[in-house]
Amino acid sequence: MAQKKSSKAPNVDSPIKLPSKKYVSKEIPCDSLKKPFRRADLIFDGVEHDGPSFEARVFVNNEKADAKTPKDPKNGYAGTFHIFGHGGCFGDVGHCEVRGTPRRYDPRPAHPLTPARKVLIATEALREAGKGKAMKVTVVPIVRSESLEGKYDNVLKFEKISVVTYN
Amino acid sequence: MANGLTVRSSIENLDPTALNNLRDAYSKMQDISDNRGWIYWAGIHGIPQFLCWHHSRVGSDEFPYDLFLPWHRAYLLYFEHTVMDQNNAASLPWWDWTSDESHTNGIPESFAVPKVGGKANSLASGPMPPIGKRPARRTRRGPDDPGNLPSADAVQNLMDLGNYTDFSNQVQDIHDSVHGWVGGDMGVVATSAFDPIFWSHHCMIDRIWYLWQLQNGINNIPADYLSKPLAPFALTVRDVLDINSLGYEYAQSSVSVNA
Repeated sequence: MAQKKSSKAPNVDSPIKLPSKKYVSKEIPCDSLKKPFRRADLIFDGVEHDGPSFEARVFVNNEKADAKTPKDPKNGYAGTFHIFGHGGCFGDVGHCEVRGTPRRYDPRPAHPLTPARKVLIATEALREAGKGKAMKVTVVPIVRSESLEGKYDNVLKFEKISVVTYN
Repeated sequence: MANGLTVRSSIENLDPTALNNLRDAYSKMQDISDNRGWIYWAGIHGIPQFLCWHHSRVGSDEFPYDLFLPWHRAYLLYFEHTVMDQNNAASLPWWDWTSDESHTNGIPESFAVPKVGGKANSLASGPMPPIGKRPARRTRRGPDDPGNLPSADAVQNLMDLGNYTDFSNQVQDIHDSVHGWVGGDMGVVATSAFDPIFWSHHCMIDRIWYLWQLQNGINNIPADYLSKPLAPFALTVRDVLDINSLGYEYAQSSVSVNA
């Protein structure tokens, strides 16, 4: 990735801000958002973090959102979560393959690249979304670091998105 | 020292003597190639040992636990003592990235200036080992707009999260954002600890946990966590809950004058 050298000091490069492939969810029913709640979260399970670091801007009911979309309620902005990425695989073949379910007597912690859970507190955006029957969630990732493999086009990978409310 | 405790101060409040002590210790560590040196200690977090904790994981007992906060507290403690081996008057300062100063200028000047007194500033970059075919070099940064650093309000909001797991998850996200904000080698797990600002960033995270503990209880953590070891350090989660028992304290402010 080409970086422009800053004139301020040595060892300082221009910041990396690269849009990556965005995610748009299927329709998520809003039934649970009709009841009163004090807090509502969007939970992303199984988020991979083996590549570059990135921020993930989350919008509700705005499928057209992209890296230039203003982060305001008018555009359905719900908040941002961040991934501190591993930065690519620095080991030999297989080093970054996540081990399967731990054996019964294996005292080691699970593999460091075990996918993460990210919890975005998005109460007001989800309260607004609850006025409708269903909603779609758009996630716009913006890469913030380099990765050894130099792949930045599809950094956001996760297993599941959930809406959880608390009263 | 206060009551024998090491006092950690904000980098913005360090007096010139304390700053010189820190630079002296870091500089000496950066010149040492054995297990007292910079590359050895930074290499525990990422390349080559990768022992750091981020995000929750499932262990052999299938309890999804997250040792992010206690593991880094133990790491800082061991590192700080190694720093003091080089200069006994040095201690780790925190970088308050919510301050007006940081939101105006970004990286604090103490970490940003390339040279001090004609010598390389040991807070501006750290040595990195060769990685694969890439040669050894000094760390680099690519900081974002200062206005994009986390706000004081964002940190204050964390204090009202009474559940440890909830707090840990949210403070970790702010932590993640600052790594990305600094960018460069700080921007990824593998190389971040080689950058000297890593230690002050984590000091800030540790301090936020301490402030949260004051409000929500020192022992506010799931019971299942208490006996978890913080490898490779000879400490468990239970051992690191009370920072005073670990021999340090966070100062709110510090002013001194010559006698």
